[in-house]
Amino acid sequence: MNKAEITNFELEILELLKNVMDPEIEINIVDLGLIYEVNYDGDKKLDLVITFSTPACPLGDAIVSNIKEVIKQKYPDFTTNVEVVFEPLWSTELVSEEGKRILGL
Amino acid sequence: MNLSINSNYAPAASVIKPHFIFGAIALLVLSLMIILADTTLLGAYFDSKIIAITHMAVLGWTIMIVFGALYQLIPVVFETSLYSEKLAKFTFWLSGFSVLFLTYSFWITDYTRLLPYAALLMFVSLLLFVINVILSYKSSQKKNISSRFVITAVIWLAITELIGTLIAFNFKFNFFADSHLHYLKIHASIGLIGWFLMLIIGIGSILIPMFFVSHQLDNKKLEKSYYLINFGLIAISINWFFIHQDFINPLFWLLIVIGIIFFISFVYDSYKKRIRKVLDVGMKHTMISIITIVLPVIVSLIIMIGFDLESTLLFRVSTLFGFTVIFGFVTTLILGQTYKTLPFIIWLEKYQALVGKTKTPMPRELYSEKIAHAHLYIYIFFIIFMILGILFKKIWLVRIGSYFLLLVAILYNINVFKMIFHKVKTIDKNE
Repeated sequence: MNKAEITNFELEILELLKNVMDPEIEINIVDLGLIYEVNYDGDKKLDLVITFSTPACPLGDAIVSNIKEVIKQKYPDFTTNVEVVFEPLWSTELVSEEGKRILGL
Repeated sequence: MNLSINSNYAPAASVIKPHFIFGAIALLVLSLMIILADTTLLGAYFDSKIIAITHMAVLGWTIMIVFGALYQLIPVVFETSLYSEKLAKFTFWLSGFSVLFLTYSFWITDYTRLLPYAALLMFVSLLLFVINVILSYKSSQKKNISSRFVITAVIWLAITELIGTLIAFNFKFNFFADSHLHYLKIHASIGLIGWFLMLIIGIGSILIPMFFVSHQLDNKKLEKSYYLINFGLIAISINWFFIHQDFINPLFWLLIVIGIIFFISFVYDSYKKRIRKVLDVGMKHTMISIITIVLPVIVSLIIMIGFDLESTLLFRVSTLFGFTVIFGFVTTLILGQTYKTLPFIIWLEKYQALVGKTKTPMPRELYSEKIAHAHLYIYIFFIIFMILGILFKKIWLVRIGSYFLLLVAILYNINVFKMIFHKVKTIDKNE
């Protein structure tokens, strides 16, 4: 896989992650700006760096499970690592235009 | 960098759900007690029926829901797990029995044969809760202003209970230097301000910005609120216990009021900076509750300053103080926060293992929003009718108001049990 193909696949994963909703805010985690990085090794390994809208998010584990499950359903032999970070802290600037429209911002 | 593992810390749903079941039924019983009390509600605030209603409201309804919610929220506020789930379960059964025993003792005015033992049991059960929370706090990784509010509130709860138990024993052994009504005033003030208000500020300072999704708030306002409320409450308690210079109390009370204003200002900032513009039914209740804090503040200042009110009016105004705190502020908040906690507890229990595998309903879909909105509006009528009825001594207003509360309790129970008995529903992804 060349670099362009890897980037395209990462964008495909990002599109796939639009199926994962934040159960409290009820917006998908991509439009909410919770995905910081999607890194594909070109083989069968995905490394994601994500955040939550608040560090105290009680639903954090459910979101992580949901991400892993959605990827597993489409790519059963992939290994997905999800790292949760709070630096930089999530803010409204990270919400996509579509997310802002849903939130009425 | 931090890994948030709060739901790993969350206790089993079996620890939390019984508290919501008990609390919801207690609200129903409470509304029936208010209907039965009838004209007594317009008499002296220390009438045994009013005291029984107060304890059912404070211990049976609000504390049960607060305990259940707090067990779930300790991982969020302290970032640690609950010290002991077994202890929490035992505390539930003991406090459940104790509150029924205590309320019954007050209701039948049995102050010497039953009350001291009921109070002692209640004291032990609340102490077990206090121990569980303090030991959880000790292992906490996160000690900030919110967790400090919560832990201080828990200490005030222990003091409240100690005074309450001493009052109960005084009925049997008569060892107080002053009238028991003097200590009743301290017991109620510490309980309502030290325990309820401080706890609500502590939990609210985390949850309100979380649910509004608002950031970059000024925590210094919370710091000021913390010191002002505590200093005011400690000073007024010392004065009530030992110094007896009543003329200075309004000054201490003012410090508490300024502390409350700092918290309201914090909430207002959070509201202004929110990214969720539309308030759901839980947050509507919450905002009404925060606005309603103004009512007991005004009533308490009237009591403090005195205005030479004739004694029967002063009794009703005192009842109004308790009413506006317990029903205006605390109950409104708890009705709303039920919808911000219980659906998520049930959702995590039923759907955490299914997320991603199949399409699941959202937590908001586990209850009826229509019913929740209906009881919000009816509840506002209940508050208005009761305040006017108590203030102007109009029993017909109080009676209509109390039936409004019964209706609220029925609707609230329907929603709570709809969530409790929720059966897993999966939706075909192609739908």
